[in-house]
Amino acid sequence: MLANHIGHYSLIMGLLTSILIFFLSLKSYKLKIIDKRIFSISFLQLFFVLVSFASLVICFVISDFSNETVFNNSHSNKPILYKISGTWGNHEGSLLLWLLVLVLFLFLFLINSKNELKRYRILTITFQQVIIIGFFLFVLITSNPFNYLFPRPNEGLGLNPILQDPALAIHPPILYVGYVGSSLIFSATLAAVIENYISKDWAKNIKTWILISWIFLTIGIMVGSIWAYYELGWGGFWFWDPVENVSLMPWICLTALLHCVLVLEKRELLKSWTIILSIATFTLSMCGTFLVRSGILNSVHTFANDPSRGLFILCFLFFLITISLIIFFVYNNEKQKNFKKIYFFSKEVSILVNNWFLMYFLSVVFIGTLYPIFLEVLVENKISVGPPFYIKLIVPFLIFFLIFMSIGPNLKWIKETNVKNKIQLIIFFFISLLVSLLIYKNIGETNLINIFLIAASFYLFIVTIRDLFSKESYNFSKKISHFGFSLLILSILLNAILSSEKIINLKVGEKFTFKNEKIFFKSIENNQKENYKSVIGHFTIQDDKNNIFLFKPELRIYDQPLVVTSEADIKTTLLKDKFLVMNAIKGNEYFNVRYQVKPFMIWIWISTLLLAIGGFLSLYKRVHEK
Amino acid sequence: MKLFKIFFILAFILNSFSTSFAEKNDQLTIKISKNLRCVICQGQSIYDSQSEFAVSMKLLIKKKIEQGLSENEIYEFLIDKYGEWIVYDTGFNKNTFILWALPVLLFFLGGAIILKKLVFRKN
Repeated sequence: MLANHIGHYSLIMGLLTSILIFFLSLKSYKLKIIDKRIFSISFLQLFFVLVSFASLVICFVISDFSNETVFNNSHSNKPILYKISGTWGNHEGSLLLWLLVLVLFLFLFLINSKNELKRYRILTITFQQVIIIGFFLFVLITSNPFNYLFPRPNEGLGLNPILQDPALAIHPPILYVGYVGSSLIFSATLAAVIENYISKDWAKNIKTWILISWIFLTIGIMVGSIWAYYELGWGGFWFWDPVENVSLMPWICLTALLHCVLVLEKRELLKSWTIILSIATFTLSMCGTFLVRSGILNSVHTFANDPSRGLFILCFLFFLITISLIIFFVYNNEKQKNFKKIYFFSKEVSILVNNWFLMYFLSVVFIGTLYPIFLEVLVENKISVGPPFYIKLIVPFLIFFLIFMSIGPNLKWIKETNVKNKIQLIIFFFISLLVSLLIYKNIGETNLINIFLIAASFYLFIVTIRDLFSKESYNFSKKISHFGFSLLILSILLNAILSSEKIINLKVGEKFTFKNEKIFFKSIENNQKENYKSVIGHFTIQDDKNNIFLFKPELRIYDQPLVVTSEADIKTTLLKDKFLVMNAIKGNEYFNVRYQVKPFMIWIWISTLLLAIGGFLSLYKRVHEK
Repeated sequence: MKLFKIFFILAFILNSFSTSFAEKNDQLTIKISKNLRCVICQGQSIYDSQSEFAVSMKLLIKKKIEQGLSENEIYEFLIDKYGEWIVYDTGFNKNTFILWALPVLLFFLGGAIILKKLVFRKN
């Protein structure tokens, strides 16, 4: 109860410090001297938000049900880890986390930007503070996590059991750092536009922030995906669900920005485009928050459907977009002609091609996610845009994208002249065509587009492996990331083509064969756990070499709230995952059993990690160069 | 040559995964159920869901396949019953042609802009 009040008041204090910093920074901008008080007040602001967040965590840990958020989302006999993670497993708490990360990023910027231009620095603070004030108001007005309940209920309503999972405990914070990091890129870009500071130096500085956002977004999406794989998906890991798309969109945009800013850094080209991408990335992050929170989307992530929240974010988003457009058109004057030569076979053009394709993928995801919403409003026709749409529109273009990605990074800045390199690239291309034909003959894949896709991804794979071991360029981080990406595409592709499965209804004592394996349902075991009842099935799987593996898929029956979840048992090896999951059939002794063999599953996660590690290496290098 | 060897080995491994054609009906059921939305769940396909609705749907699909209906006939039957919303793969019709065409149009527009910028510089 005490924590509840402390949390509430420090939130209000945080808002006051925000307003104070906003005015101080405006004053500093006029006087061209940074008011020293900004630093101490920023620290105070971070402190208040931190206290507020910590108090909410405490409310959850001690199960203080006089707090409405705790009452709605917690239960006294939940394990401690999920009491803590429950703090951000709901709308109000997750917004408080948003706010915390926003403030944290501004603070990090403040202490890491001492060598930057003064007025640029002040303006960045101002813009970031505008966003922070907006979110303070949003939290306090529409979704206060510290609402007080009287009389105090004795027990809470509980957290959705599918969210009670270690991966999901860390998924939101990681993803939020990625999302919110883009706010700083946004503020810094607007400040740089006004100060006419879009230049080589700026590109160097902003790249650090882009990398941070990008790394966290990559890992955040991956963790969510892993969770979906073993908890939600019955073996799937990406469903083109609107909420997944919403996290993918800023990622694509940020990836484009990451490449585009290289051109700016090396050749001072593509200035306006960099600005547009920076603004778009943050807008897409906000858009994601709006779509998820407004309850427009039909998804597992929709915690609560409250129109006033959606409306607030929509207005705020509209306000930010308007401001950034005005700033862009008033201050951005790329009028001064630069006559730098651009050749078709150069790195800058290939990065342009990369951006072109990425923007296409972005538009597919964007239109696919939003179109059904508009259609329903306009003509009251409810349609679903699902995986087939995305696959049909993305795959043909992905083939060319992969080929360009194999060639592009090997070109030099300004103009490519190396003939040996070109010959090697052509030879590799024929090798990969050969490989895909071999695969085609072996598995009887009949879809022509798939064959080309396999060829293209093998091509990229071979080229990135060659680059990984070549000594020509020292940009190791890029090589790792590009290799990770090629491995990712290849493993997703092979996984999709080669996965096989069997669904069958079984009762204890029965067995079935799947390919060369015998699956036997031995027994079931009932247990009472801390906050759920568990039913564990004991299965043995005997493969063709007579090795016997024990599988224990589980059913969990939670009673607050009453939900049944299935926990798959997965045996992972380097070559394939074996995935067994079972489900009860009502009023019947039979269980619905699904057995899947999924090749190269683990490589999807490893390659995503490589992608992030590449980003991390680049960041490390940048920090140490300074 | 080393590379060649590796790929031959890889191709051999892939070979061992090949699917038999005896389970064709099962495969078709899976394919269809992946393309159908579970109308009572949140954002899951019939294939992914274990709700009673999804389970009975899967049985229905199997029955329809055994009756000799083709994939498209089954979709038409279900759309009549539950509305267009149930199918994930929206066809190409007067309501969706913008959905399908717009991204591709944007792609060509982007290409045109890039080309124009590059060519104009040269002149």
